[in-house]
Amino acid sequence: MGFFNSLKDEFVLNFIEKGRWKSLFKGLGNTLLITLFAVIIGIAIGIIIAVIRTTYDKNAETLKKNGGVKYRIMKVLNTLCNLYLTVVRGTPVVVQLMIFYFVIFTFVDNGLIIAILAFGLNSGAYVAEIFRGGIMSIDNGQFEAGRSLGFNYFQTMRYIVIPQVIKNVLPTLCNEFIVLLKETSVAGYVGIADLTKAGDLIRGATFSAFMPLIAVALIYLTVVVILTKLVKKLEMRLRRDER
Amino acid sequence: MSDNKECIIKAVGLKKYYKGGEIKALDGVSLEIDKGEVVVIIGPSGSGKSTFLRSLNLLEIPTDGSIFFDGVDIAAKHVDINKHRQKMGMVFQHFNLFPHMTVLQNMTLAPVKLLKKTPEEAETKALEFLRKVGLYDRAQAYPSQLSGGQKQRIAIVRALCMEPEVMLFDEPTSALDPELVGEVLDVMKNLASTGMTMVCVTHEMGFAREVADRVIFMCDGVIVEQGTPEKIFTAPENPRLRQFLQSIL
Repeated sequence: MGFFNSLKDEFVLNFIEKGRWKSLFKGLGNTLLITLFAVIIGIAIGIIIAVIRTTYDKNAETLKKNGGVKYRIMKVLNTLCNLYLTVVRGTPVVVQLMIFYFVIFTFVDNGLIIAILAFGLNSGAYVAEIFRGGIMSIDNGQFEAGRSLGFNYFQTMRYIVIPQVIKNVLPTLCNEFIVLLKETSVAGYVGIADLTKAGDLIRGATFSAFMPLIAVALIYLTVVVILTKLVKKLEMRLRRDER
Repeated sequence: MSDNKECIIKAVGLKKYYKGGEIKALDGVSLEIDKGEVVVIIGPSGSGKSTFLRSLNLLEIPTDGSIFFDGVDIAAKHVDINKHRQKMGMVFQHFNLFPHMTVLQNMTLAPVKLLKKTPEEAETKALEFLRKVGLYDRAQAYPSQLSGGQKQRIAIVRALCMEPEVMLFDEPTSALDPELVGEVLDVMKNLASTGMTMVCVTHEMGFAREVADRVIFMCDGVIVEQGTPEKIFTAPENPRLRQFLQSIL
């Protein structure tokens, strides 16, 4: 019985005493908050970049022939996008986060906002590649059908291509968000009390590592499993529309 | 063509080169098409007939030459091609219906977004067309639930919903099972009888014979011979045309 008693003591010490469980849930709240808004930023950036890059890839020849300002603008935009993708994907997210917090946005107090921005910009690069693959995988006939009806390139993208892309990339996109949710666990580096940091703070206070860290892991796992289930459902519903 | 007819499309010296002139898909094609005329383009594969058709609404950008549509050179720079494309319907070999939309949505998207029709107006019009092609009951179906022939009929009426002045057909029956070809050709025949201007690339010689006002034979990127169906099919002059007709009939 000694083992169970000590386990119970541990539990009380780490979660019940001083209402420590509350800090875990607050941390979870922060983690979800960062992930949710970062995801929204990521999708927005991702779609914009993917559209710019595929537009350039698909139309460079035509634009070049017509020459002029449009081609030069597209070329500059495309180069900027490539630069962004290279930098973001070539450096660790925790370093990006710290640069944001300690170098660029030193005048901003709210670490949460900085984290949302940093993770959003980071995720945008990965989402952009997911969307780009998605756009490239849409049959060219869809573009041609849209254009032949009189839609311009961006209307064709908006009404015809992107809706199909979203449906196609949803599983991959979801995977990216699950990765992002877990990646936000480094937010503690800039003093944000996210789920991981909350668990770590309890460990520091109680000098007992097992309970808080296992609890943190279990909470992440639960959230990820729930998210995966939700997306499966959504996927099924989207599919059913087509049958 | 007689002078009193109104010319709607006029292609002048159309050229399309690839790889800096190494491959000449179109090598100087000129053609005038009158309002209400049904023109059928035939020719061996690789003859440039699809490229020519696709140049007419600039899905292929010609390397050189002009395309006058309603008197405007749409191949020129700074022309709003989207405005002109609204008046040129196109039907593709592989239908290209939008798979994420119902039949009705496929047909009403462009009229609502581009012609600024109200959804009700567009739907009424679309349903009218669906009734004409016998697919009224499939309005709420998704493209994946349709047969090839049904898809192509929908593709035709989707283009018609934009009230085009010209209809371009790019091998509309080539991807269909043989028993489904007839239903699509029937729709096209009906369309021709309404006086629609049609330009059609096809391998359906029966259709060409029956419906065409003029048959164009293309080979190696140029128009080799053209004339009435009787002349083309019964008294072909060019040896390449004779050879082509022998191989397919």
